[in-house]
Amino acid sequence: MAYRPSRRTHNTPADAEPNMTPIMNLMVVLIPLLLTSVQLIKISIIELNLPPAAAADAAMAKQSKKDRVKKLDLAVIITDKGFYLSSSSAILKARKGKPSIPLKDGQYNYELLAEKLFAIKEKASGRFQDTESITIQAEPSIDYQTLVSTMDAARSIKRDGRELALFPKASISALVL
Amino acid sequence: MAYIPSRRKRNNTFAGTAKLNLTSMMDMFTIILVFLLKTYTTEGALIQPSDSLALPKSTIQTQPEVALDLVVSRDVVMVNDRVVIDMDQVKKQQGFVIAPLKTELQRHADKAKNMEQEFGTPFSGKVVIQGDKSIPYRDLVKVMATCGAADYPNMRLVVYRSE
Repeated sequence: MAYRPSRRTHNTPADAEPNMTPIMNLMVVLIPLLLTSVQLIKISIIELNLPPAAAADAAMAKQSKKDRVKKLDLAVIITDKGFYLSSSSAILKARKGKPSIPLKDGQYNYELLAEKLFAIKEKASGRFQDTESITIQAEPSIDYQTLVSTMDAARSIKRDGRELALFPKASISALVL
Repeated sequence: MAYIPSRRKRNNTFAGTAKLNLTSMMDMFTIILVFLLKTYTTEGALIQPSDSLALPKSTIQTQPEVALDLVVSRDVVMVNDRVVIDMDQVKKQQGFVIAPLKTELQRHADKAKNMEQEFGTPFSGKVVIQGDKSIPYRDLVKVMATCGAADYPNMRLVVYRSE
């Protein structure tokens, strides 16, 4: 005769619940650990390489006149009235007295600066050697944020959803002082 | 009249053990954990923000580097957390090169060059500059000229990424 459990001892098993406590312990340790190492503010760096002070003068003296003609020597000068653009060759029109890119509603017009630089880049590429670099000069009272924003505007421009490089190699000049 | 429980209630000691339902809490923790693991980075923090040091914002997307630390806040100039000169003195100065900063930087450069000779760690001439966004160009140029004059021509300007 087959085994048949007695009706009295047969009872339905209670819902088996997994023991969550060890996992909870793990979570409680891991979450504060990761929270302390979370990076809320992202930082970047802007590279700015100077030739060593002594070498710069020597390099300038060595350059023959022929080399210098081929150079664009593009420069942006930041003043409290706006941006002045200049270069060694006559590629740029400079309006008398007025800055090339005046202030717009009391703010610096970085968009127009990028547009103008883009036009210069298109014209100059292939004809000059240094179509990557730009010199930035500023009036003594211009603050650091304006300088960094100008470097941003000179670095790249967004065209049709693509980032196009303009003049990524920025250098700083103190000639205005 | 005071509440007197009935006889049946008085003897009712059969209270089931209360169980905490952890499932919803587990769900939440799992989501937080995944989110935090995604944002986890092992890059060390380079900056120590303070009231007188607010870095400028920029759109550049580069990875930070670790090198000699030069802090130019609104009050002081610091090299590797040591105060070198007050900004008031920098503002007053006429020439480009700030003498106390130059000696301090050159001390670091000599040490690094010594390291290069003895242990082969290359001296890159890199200095990481954390400047406050409101410092004027005239003071910034003085600091940069001093860096260039003191064997640190490769400057890295620390900025906040604005995106």
